[in-house]
Amino acid sequence: MRVRLLGIGFLAPALVAVSLFFLLPVLLTAVFSFTNMSTSTGISGGEYLIIETDLRDLPAQGVSAETVVQLDAAGYAITEVGLARMAAAFGADRAQELREDYFGDTFEARRDLERLLRDLDNNPIRNTRERKAAADLFAVTIVGERYDTEAAFRDALSDTGIDPSDHDALVTAAYTGWIWTSDNFSLLFELPSTLRYALNTAFYVVCTLAFNITFGLFLAISTFYLPLKLANVFRSIWFLPRILPPVMYVLMWNWFTWDNGFIATVTGWFGVPQQNWMMQTPTHAWTVIILINGFVGASLGMILFSSAIKAIPLPMLYASEVDGANRWQQVRYIILPQMRWPILFLTCYQTLSLLTSFEYILLATDGGPGSTTEVWALAAYHTALSNYGGNLQYGLGAAFALILVVIGIVLSALYLRFFNFKELVAKPRIEQ
Amino acid sequence: MTILTRSTAIAATLAAFAAPALAEQITITVWAGGSNDNDSYRVEAIEMAADILEREAAIRGEEIDITVDGRWDFAGWDEFKQAVTLGAEAGTAPNIVVTSHLDIAPWSQAGYIVPVEDYVDLDAWPLNNVYPNLMEIAAFGGTQWGVPQDSESRPFFFWRETMSGLGYTEEQIDALPDMVASGDYTLRDMLADATRAVEMGLVEEGYGFYPRVSNGPDYAQFYQSFGGELIDPETGQLVFDRAAMTEFYQFFVDAVEAGVTRQNHIGTDWDQWYNEVANGRAAFWHGGTWHFGRYGREGNEDFWNTIQFSLIPAGNDAGRPNTITHPLVYLLTDQDDDRAEEIAARLVAIATEPRLNTLHAIKSSHLAVAQVQQDLDLYSGDRWASEATEVLLASANAQPNHLQYGAFSEAMFSGLESAWSGTQSVEEAVAEVEAQMRATLGDDLIIR
Repeated sequence: MRVRLLGIGFLAPALVAVSLFFLLPVLLTAVFSFTNMSTSTGISGGEYLIIETDLRDLPAQGVSAETVVQLDAAGYAITEVGLARMAAAFGADRAQELREDYFGDTFEARRDLERLLRDLDNNPIRNTRERKAAADLFAVTIVGERYDTEAAFRDALSDTGIDPSDHDALVTAAYTGWIWTSDNFSLLFELPSTLRYALNTAFYVVCTLAFNITFGLFLAISTFYLPLKLANVFRSIWFLPRILPPVMYVLMWNWFTWDNGFIATVTGWFGVPQQNWMMQTPTHAWTVIILINGFVGASLGMILFSSAIKAIPLPMLYASEVDGANRWQQVRYIILPQMRWPILFLTCYQTLSLLTSFEYILLATDGGPGSTTEVWALAAYHTALSNYGGNLQYGLGAAFALILVVIGIVLSALYLRFFNFKELVAKPRIEQ
Repeated sequence: MTILTRSTAIAATLAAFAAPALAEQITITVWAGGSNDNDSYRVEAIEMAADILEREAAIRGEEIDITVDGRWDFAGWDEFKQAVTLGAEAGTAPNIVVTSHLDIAPWSQAGYIVPVEDYVDLDAWPLNNVYPNLMEIAAFGGTQWGVPQDSESRPFFFWRETMSGLGYTEEQIDALPDMVASGDYTLRDMLADATRAVEMGLVEEGYGFYPRVSNGPDYAQFYQSFGGELIDPETGQLVFDRAAMTEFYQFFVDAVEAGVTRQNHIGTDWDQWYNEVANGRAAFWHGGTWHFGRYGREGNEDFWNTIQFSLIPAGNDAGRPNTITHPLVYLLTDQDDDRAEEIAARLVAIATEPRLNTLHAIKSSHLAVAQVQQDLDLYSGDRWASEATEVLLASANAQPNHLQYGAFSEAMFSGLESAWSGTQSVEEAVAEVEAQMRATLGDDLIIR
């Protein structure tokens, strides 16, 4: 029992981390993706509000035309109810003057009534906020007013004499918060850009992964055959892309590829017309993006593969040399077969991280030219968190992201089967 | 507000005025988006307003101690908007934000901001002197949500020396703004001139016409140049005009094919871009009124003898010469403390005083928000502010405050980018944008 508790104790930090940084975000993404959440709906719930520009849409939402006309025409009216409130709050003399001169008058905007209250002959209301408060006493409109609860909104509808049969439709139309919906997913299937983002992502992941693994293996094997000190120098150099902050790393690529950058300058000496080697064509952009991400991934591969190669008992290599094997045959028949596990690990890890990574693309091409390098994760980011016009689509962005999560989980399962995970975690047959 | 809460509010207001005045401490935070050191008066005007408000209160026998806590060092618009909206969700939003007027629609709907008209008298000085069309831009759905903080517009620029090289006389160059305004000089004429400028070697290939490098209000101007309308004034729906969109995209594709604009122009580094246009590397380009100050910092000390400016020319007979003004606005966020909202609103009103606003306008090369500013020496003595106001502001319109305008604008730009970079033909790009807008905007869109 104690042993088991100890085990759980050791696992606890991992469990907390997995819950906080994986399960919770996934859960939230799933929840968000089935809502119409955006900047305008807010995240933490809504209130009830009909504004002038909403009136046009109301008939389509089942509100009768008469009610729309009534809402449109309503504003501020000098009525007995209002005058009684006015007398109580601001004095009978002011109420009396209003009754005598303006009883029954209506005002479209509060501002018109405010002007009148400022210009009362007898004791005008001089303070701005008091004047506004006084004008509000005569409101017979719900348009432009924000109600915290459904009950308050329904009361206001009744108070202003709106036909009760329209109340339900108005409540639905007036709600400003988010609602549950699966529209995000149908919209994704409907949008012509979705397929392109998917193809871009597949292309990006496959090419970058191939580059990562191949180049990582090449670095690991080539440095293995170098003297230790020299090998470490090379490894340190190739590790730079990973330890540099992404912004700085991409900035260096920018300097390298811009139309007045390093490549353009050097090729310029040979008469090549100046061009932007990152953004000239989609081919340029993809090449640069695959290299940017590839070098980062390859450096990790290099370290992992190098340590895996070191785990291979040297006597095997000595024996092969005695048998007359050359370097290529050593790589082919001794090193590579021992590398299945690290290759599997790296392939899984990198696929998943590439699927969701977009920061280097965002910094380098931002999806350009012409959204040719817009990958799925970047589209999710753009949809949910970047919009010049201000209304960020959190729900739609989350739908993008959720699909990535599902693909990631399915791929992980497939990889585990394909590489025969159980056999790989079996007791090693060498190293004893 | 319900009637009940209304009465409570009235009681509270009355109580506030009846109670004996004690020293009142209040901190007002101001965040300004899209700002740099030149725009410091977006915050400093509020600080000056606080001083005035404290003095006014002291004369009335009240003691208010206002601390203004300003911030404008945001990395970009995205970061700023995320900070404001997440702050609003968490109840820690700054009291005053200076932001694009396009944020009014979503933020008012979400309840992040409160109407400025609830706190200040719009008929009183200085708000009654603000240009009515600018006040309109800070309103949405019949409510005055904000107060314009500055105004600007987005002119078209010509490099004078290149124009001379093309054979234009000084008089003809001086007459360009009028030629553009009357529709006698169009975008197509510009393209022909730009092509000649490249052929004659006056500018390098790709530098004939050198447009903005990222999405922004500027591209809506070209849509308007070709007859596009952003919003239908009758119904309040956004408008997708297929013919205008096609012509608009085609124009940029033609510019690429003629070698006057680079196919990979979008995404060019801003610093590089400013430096190039300020020093005559491009024949034609477009920008904003604040570019005037920037060109000076890029080493062009002689704007008037090197650069000519006008409206964005018309593209065809259906379109019109135009310019978009994209004012930033002061908005008040929803706070638990009604008193903080009220103080914030009064500070915004005072900061709109012509003298205070003029400090910002001239320091940051923006335009005035109020008529009377033109009578102030600081403003009228500034040639750029006066001439830009005269040439541009009268024809300026703004992008619509509409919940879906952001989606509209993003889709329009992504289609332009696809056609421009050659990844889609113009027809394909227009068709895809149409499909995208149909799907995302639904009833909020009219297709013409």
